[in-house]
Formats: sequence, structure tokens, C-alpha cells
Amino acid sequence: MTMLRVRDIYVRFGGVVALDRVSIDLNRGEILGLIGPNGAGKTTLFNCISGVVQPDAGRIFFDGRSLRRVPPHERARRGIARTFQNLQLWKSMTLLENLAVPMDALGRRSTIADALGNPLSRFAERATMERARAILHVLDLDAHANSLAGDLPAGIQRRVEIARALAMRPKLILLDEPAAGLDAGETKRLADLLNAVRERFHVSMLLVDHDMSLVMRVCDYMYVLDFGKILAQGRPAEIRSDRKVIAAYLGEPNPELPAAPDGAVQPVITSADRKDGTPALPTGAPLLGVKGLAAGYGALEVIRDVNLVVRPAEIVACIGANGAGKTTTLRAISGIVKPRAGRVFFGGRDITGRTPERIAGMGLAHIPEGRGLFPRMSVEDTLLLASDNTGQRVDPSVAYEVFPRLKQRRWQAVGTLSGGEQQMVALARALLARPRLVMVDEMSQGLAPTIVRQLFEMLSVLRSKGIAVLLVEQFVESALEVADRAYIFEHGTAGHEAPAAELRADRKLISGSYLGSAVDEPAAIPSEANGNGHRVDVELMEVLSLKVPPSVKRAIEERATREGRSAGAIALELLEGVKH
Amino acid sequence: MILGHPVRLAVAVAAFLMLALIPAGFDVGLKFDAALSVVWAFGILSIVLLTGYVGQVSLCQATFAGVGAYAAGMMFNTFHAGYVVGIVVGVVAAFALGVLVGLPALRLRGITLAIVTLAIALVFDKYVFQDHIFDWFSGGSGGWRVDGANLLGLPADSSSHLLAGYEVLLALFVLVALLMVNLHQSGAGRRFRAIRDSELAASTMGVNLTRYKLLAFGLSAGIAGLGGSFYPLIAGSVSPQPFWVFTSLQLSAIAVLMGVRYVPAAALGGFFMAFVPDILTRYGHGTFMGHSYDISYDWFSLALGALLIVQLILLPDGVWGDLHGHVAKAMAAVRVHTQRRVRVA
Ligand SMILES: Nc1ncnc2c1ncn2[C@@H]1O[C@H](COP(=O)(O)OP(=O)(O)OP(=O)(O)O)[C@@H](O)[C@H]1O
Ligand SMILES: [Mg+2]
Repeated sequence: MTMLRVRDIYVRFGGVVALDRVSIDLNRGEILGLIGPNGAGKTTLFNCISGVVQPDAGRIFFDGRSLRRVPPHERARRGIARTFQNLQLWKSMTLLENLAVPMDALGRRSTIADALGNPLSRFAERATMERARAILHVLDLDAHANSLAGDLPAGIQRRVEIARALAMRPKLILLDEPAAGLDAGETKRLADLLNAVRERFHVSMLLVDHDMSLVMRVCDYMYVLDFGKILAQGRPAEIRSDRKVIAAYLGEPNPELPAAPDGAVQPVITSADRKDGTPALPTGAPLLGVKGLAAGYGALEVIRDVNLVVRPAEIVACIGANGAGKTTTLRAISGIVKPRAGRVFFGGRDITGRTPERIAGMGLAHIPEGRGLFPRMSVEDTLLLASDNTGQRVDPSVAYEVFPRLKQRRWQAVGTLSGGEQQMVALARALLARPRLVMVDEMSQGLAPTIVRQLFEMLSVLRSKGIAVLLVEQFVESALEVADRAYIFEHGTAGHEAPAAELRADRKLISGSYLGSAVDEPAAIPSEANGNGHRVDVELMEVLSLKVPPSVKRAIEERATREGRSAGAIALELLEGVKH
Repeated sequence: MILGHPVRLAVAVAAFLMLALIPAGFDVGLKFDAALSVVWAFGILSIVLLTGYVGQVSLCQATFAGVGAYAAGMMFNTFHAGYVVGIVVGVVAAFALGVLVGLPALRLRGITLAIVTLAIALVFDKYVFQDHIFDWFSGGSGGWRVDGANLLGLPADSSSHLLAGYEVLLALFVLVALLMVNLHQSGAGRRFRAIRDSELAASTMGVNLTRYKLLAFGLSAGIAGLGGSFYPLIAGSVSPQPFWVFTSLQLSAIAVLMGVRYVPAAALGGFFMAFVPDILTRYGHGTFMGHSYDISYDWFSLALGALLIVQLILLPDGVWGDLHGHVAKAMAAVRVHTQRRVRVA
């Protein structure tokens, strides 16, 4: 049965037609993939379905009812949840609170009763928290239950976005690039999780992601968008071999050689080329030297005793599981986070503790994971800002050659660009500043496969011009393909260093399975009660939801305190008693 | 416990008793300052709710207090109602105006919203509180006089029983402050904070933005109006001057100075707003080493501006926000210390 029907949706922003009469159908229990180049309109379609953008024409039906003029919160209550490509967690609230908001939006709760803290409110509150904990448990987020969402690394925040969407007990989840910034192992676990969620909770999903390993693994059916139009649709196997899709989005179907020069383009020197002939690794005085670096946030020390060097015209990759300290290392080098111990040398000078502006001015460009853009500034102005670092005026047209898409968008405010277009702006700005060393955090995040491939090629070009690169990258395989050396991060320190060629041979490393060993248990959906008495089950959620008569709730609460067990366990017991 | 954690309740009662008793030894001027400090504490509390919890900007909070004050004065004078009725009408009127002011907030945010609310403050200041068309509401050029009022039989006239009004208002403040703390932790409080952190996420996760923003504006205005409705009682009369635009700006500035996300900051801010200007006028002139000086009321704004700059650099979360962590630590240390002494004894 069709659960979501989108008919002839048309959206334009000024001169840009973001969606041009798009129609899609999604059946109950199905995972539908939506792929397409950056700026194709995928997020815009999500915005139309969740009600934050009004289409200029077209209709959307959910469960047979029209969504016309239905406000976003009402769509949420009808069962449409979503995650955001540009993370939108409530940063100053704990994870439990983040999950609680959508949960009690479903029930009717009175503000006055809440302020008075009356007993019913307090029971509902406890039930909410119980369910929130259960969901955090499923997503392996227990350890962070009371952390503020904004304090967590981006990779974990992405998982919280999914948890928050699940907390709404939706019928349909719209997932906007959930695998961005996840390495191969983590992406595999995400795929397992999505499959398990679908099976246990009968949730349908609409999935946007540029990581084909995820999309191909979980989707039943796919749509491909290009320039706001449906370019193709079909089963994953059909899409993978569709010539139009390959041309517009996937690129040459040989993922083994992403950095290989394809004939006429610029001369590309991959590290593989170097092996025959020139010395394998650049030698000489290091451009960047890091000795015994330690840094952290508040009481938390995230990295300690990090040692690494980058020589001129060398590409160095940092690899390691999410939370291993890569991002913090880059931040400490570029001065965004104050180092607590250790020294950083750049171009022979000690730059430890200098301000980020001064460090950038010396030719060390840092493209942070959050992109660091000003949302109201136009693309062109953002690029011109790069001149502030070199003292001379830059020529944005160089950037437009690399990213032609940006040229069409040059007067658009950066904040309204698609996620991938924003990433292009961040990269272009850094390169225009003519740095001696570029540090890129998750370069390929949010970018379509063809562009990712181009960018890896561009890194080789940079190297041939004498620019060094320090890279943190989710696609470990591609990173190692182009890199000269790599540092493997573990538990907040750069434990191990090796030539990239050596690591490339190590399949286990590339598949992410031993990198992520610390968090490697497969995403477990507990089907039976686990130790805490949490049991994530549709029925349990039903009992704990607010439709239960207050007298029953009170009885449950009393028994829970008397027997010192969780309310959830008792509710479940009662429920089973009723059923038998 | 209806009002939240027993310890919190005990602290609140202790604070009330202390603050209620201290002004008994004051002269009349300082007694009035004490009462006024609670009126402004309500004003700042209303900003804690609206800005600290929900992230909305308003530069007309003193206007809401003024509406409460004039409505109460009008009920007392024109309808000869008991003063308690005046208070209720004042709060309801302020709440209603708050909801109206909240309407533009459904579309606007940030600086634009600030300017719209500032314009509302100007309109009320220049016209509603001062223009003769609204004499029925403002009591004409002389304003309303409130003599011989009582609160449910409790004599509370400003000339003979100034402290009665003060104590009732203080009790109400403690009550509302406790409710605010409860609200913060409750489901509704979470929805408010969700709107503050990301409206986009809040609306798509089931929070009705229209309803909760209007509710926030209404509640906030009602809180300001409750404080304001006591003003005629404790001052004996009401005039436009205390509720003019500049007061709104000062309230906002002091809220930020003290910590806009924290309920206790409202109490600190109320003190500051009522006592500091008066103390400056009293003791801020004289001669020093042969030079006469005069740092009276005019210097208050200057001092406030300077303090704000220092605070933004040193205490970005406000005086209370940044210091209460240290206070809590010190209290814990004291507790450990006394426990040890008890055990020894
Ligand atoms: N508010 C807006 N104003 C102007 N243009 C907009 C606005 N929102 C989106 N666009 C444009 O509409 C197009 C589609 O954007 P959308 O975010 O839907 O792309 P996308 O498919 O999600 O891309 P990505 O893969 O990069 O996330 C883009 O070219 C974008 O610049
Ligand atoms: Mg997008």
C-alpha cells in the first residue's frame, strides 16, 4: 500500500528551479533511496514533505490524506520524522531531553500542570525518560545520556538525530545523509541498524546519502534526482548500471581507482606513481611538526601526546574511529582549541597558542568539519574573504573552474546553499588563500561521488604544486590511495605511523573493522529484556505512552517503587498478564 | 512535593523570610526601594522566561509592567474594585497584550523583532500612557492615586503599611520563581528550550511553534504585569515615567548582566535596578580631596554599560550564571565540613 505519494512537486527559489514536477511513491515498510548530485533538490524535497518549505505546485499525500496546509508539527504527529543534513540537535539540552521533546509532543501535556509538577505529570515524565533511555540504548548512546548534545562529536550527533527521529514513533523517517562522516565500519553498522529498525518497528524510510555502500545495501527501490527532475528510478542493481546515472552522478564505475588520471585531465601524480623512480616519501625539513600535543574541552582531555610531522608537498592522512581525536588534533594545530601541552611548529616557527587568524595568515588553512561559513554572506564575498589571509586580492574564477556549480550560485547566500554546495565553498575558500598546508576535516562529507573523485585528484595536483595536505577522511580507502603516509589514531593519540602503500594492502584496516574495534559490537536491537529491564518493544512503548488511564499509571508507579524495579518492566508484565 | 525539590523549597522559604524581615529597619526611601526591587525582579524574571528559556527578544517588558500598573489603578479608581481584583485584571491585560505582541514574533526574529517590540514600547509610552484619548486608562495627566487599599483585608496602604505590599509581592515572587524552575525541567520547558536551540527541529519534531511562542509571550508579559500591578499600591500613585522605553532597555541589559538563563538572576537584577540608582543619588555627591563631585542618577546608565562590557568579557553567562557553580562548590565544601564536625561531636 502506498504510504507516501508525492505528485508533481514544483519548487523554485528566485531563478533556481529546485524541484521540477517530481513524483515519488513510497510503500509501507519500504526503504526508498533518493540520490543525485549536489543541489539536485533532495533536501528540498524533504523540506516539502516535512512542511518547512511550501511547494509552488503539486500535492503530497500521507496515509491517503493530503498534507496541503498541514503545519510541520501536525505532520510530525501524523508520523513523519526526519533528520537533518546540517545537524539540528538542541545543543544546550541533554540527549535524554532531546529525545523527550518529540515523545511528549505526541501526548497532551499541560504547561500549567507541568509547572506545578503534579503527580500525573511526574509519572508521564518518568515514562518518557524510561523510553528515551531505551532508545539511546538501542543506538548505543547510553554513555552520553546526560551529555549536552552540542558537546558531542559530529559523528555521534548524527546518531542522536536518528534516535530523536525514532523517539517520535514515526511511520516514516526521512534520513538526510546519515552516513556523512562515518567510516566504512560505522556505515556498515548503520545499515544493519536501519534494517533492524525497519523490521522491528515497521518504519518506512526515505534515505538520502552520497555513500553508495549504504544506499545500495539497504534500499528496496531508488529514485535519482538531477537538476530537480527524476532522472531514473529502479532497483539498486538497475540504478548502479544505468548509464544516465553513471554519467550524472556515480561517475566511472570503477571505484578501485578513484585517483587514476583519466587521460586528458591535468597530470596527476599519485603516490603509486612515485614508487617507481622518485623516492617513495618526501624527505627534508618538516613543514608542520607536532610534539606531545594535548587538548580537550572543559574537564575532558580528548587528545594527549600526539606527535606527527608533515613535510612540504606531502599528503598525510589521519585515520581512526570516530572520537579517536582526529578533529581535535586539527583544531589544536590551527589554534581553534588551545593546546594544553606540547608544541606545534609550522615553517620552522613555534606557533603554539597563537590565534587562529595569525596561524591562518602564515599559510596554514584549516577547513573545519562544521565548514565555518557565514550563512548570510554571498558565495562570491565568502571567496573574496580569502584575500584577507594572503594580503593580495584573490580571483574567485579559479575556484569557479574547479566547482562550476558555484559560479551559477555566486550571489546566493551561503546559508541557503545545499549541503554539498556549502562544502564546495569551504574548500574553495581555503584553496584560494594559497596555503602552504591545507588541513581538511572530512573533505568528502556531503559531496556526490563524482565530485569526491575530482577532489582526490585535486589533492594530487596540489601536491605537485608543493602544497602539503593533512587529511581526515571517512573514505579511508580513497584517502590512502592518494596519501603518502598515514597516522592511525586510537584513544586520543596518534599511535602508529606507516606509509600509505603499506596500509592499502591491509584490507582489515580499510574495511574499518579493526579501526572501530572499540565500538564494534553490531548495533544490537534487544529483542528480549536486557539487564536493565529495558525492553524496546512496540507494546512497551504503547504502555508507556500517555494513552494509559492515570489509575493504571499510578498503580504501575507504586509497584515500581515498592519492588524497586523499573516502571517499564512492570508495565510489560502487566501487559502480558492482560494478553494471557 | 508540588513545588519541586524539598531542599529548593526550603532555600526559597528561608530567602523569603530573610528578605521579608530585613527592610523593617530601613528608612521610608529604602523601604520603597525594597518593594520596587521586587517589581523589577518580576520584570527581569519575565525576560528570563522569554529570552533565557525560549530565545525570543523583546524590548517592551516594562510596557507590560506598565499595563499591569495602569489596569490595577484603573480598576481601583474607576470601578472601586478591591485591589486584588485590580491585580488580576492587570495580569490578564498584560497577558493579552503579550499574546498580541507575540504575533509578529511568529514571523520575525533577532534584530527585527527587537525593533518591533521597541516600537510598541514607544507607542505605549507616548500615547497610551500619556495621550488624553486614553485618559480612561491612564487616569489623565496626574495618573491614578491609590490610597487606603487593602489586599483581601490586609491593610497595604503605601503611607502606613508599605511593607505589607512588599511582603505579599515578595511571597508571590518566590512562588513564581519556583514555578519557573519547575517549568524549566518539565515537558513544556523542554519544548520552550527546543524552540530556543532550533526552531526548525522543534517544528518538525511536533512542537507547535505558534502555540508555544504565543504562550511564552503571554506568560512573560503576565509575569511582568504581575509585578507592575503592585506598583500603584507601593508607590501610592502611578505615572508613565517608571515604565518608559528606557526602563525596558535597562531591564534587558540587567537581565543579560545577571544571567538571562537563570531565575535567581532576576532577584539580583531587581536589587540592582532599584537600589543602585537611589544609592548613587544619596551618596554619590560630596567633596573628595577638595573637589566636589556628583555621580547621581545619570551615572547609573554609564555604570550599567561599563559593567555589561566587563561581564561580557569575564562572565559571558552572566553574574549568576558564571558564579553559581563556584557557590555550589563552596556550599558542598561547607556541608562536608559541618558533617565532619557533627560526627566528631
Ligand atoms: N532558501 C533557498 N534559497 C535559494 N536557493 C535555495 C534555497 N534552498 C535551496 N536552494 C537551492 O536549491 C537547490 C537544491 O538544494 P537542495 O538542498 O535540495 O540540494 P540537495 O540535493 O540536498 O544537495 P546536497 O546533496 O548537496 O545536499 C540548490 O541549488 C540550492 O542552492
Ligand atoms: Mg541536501
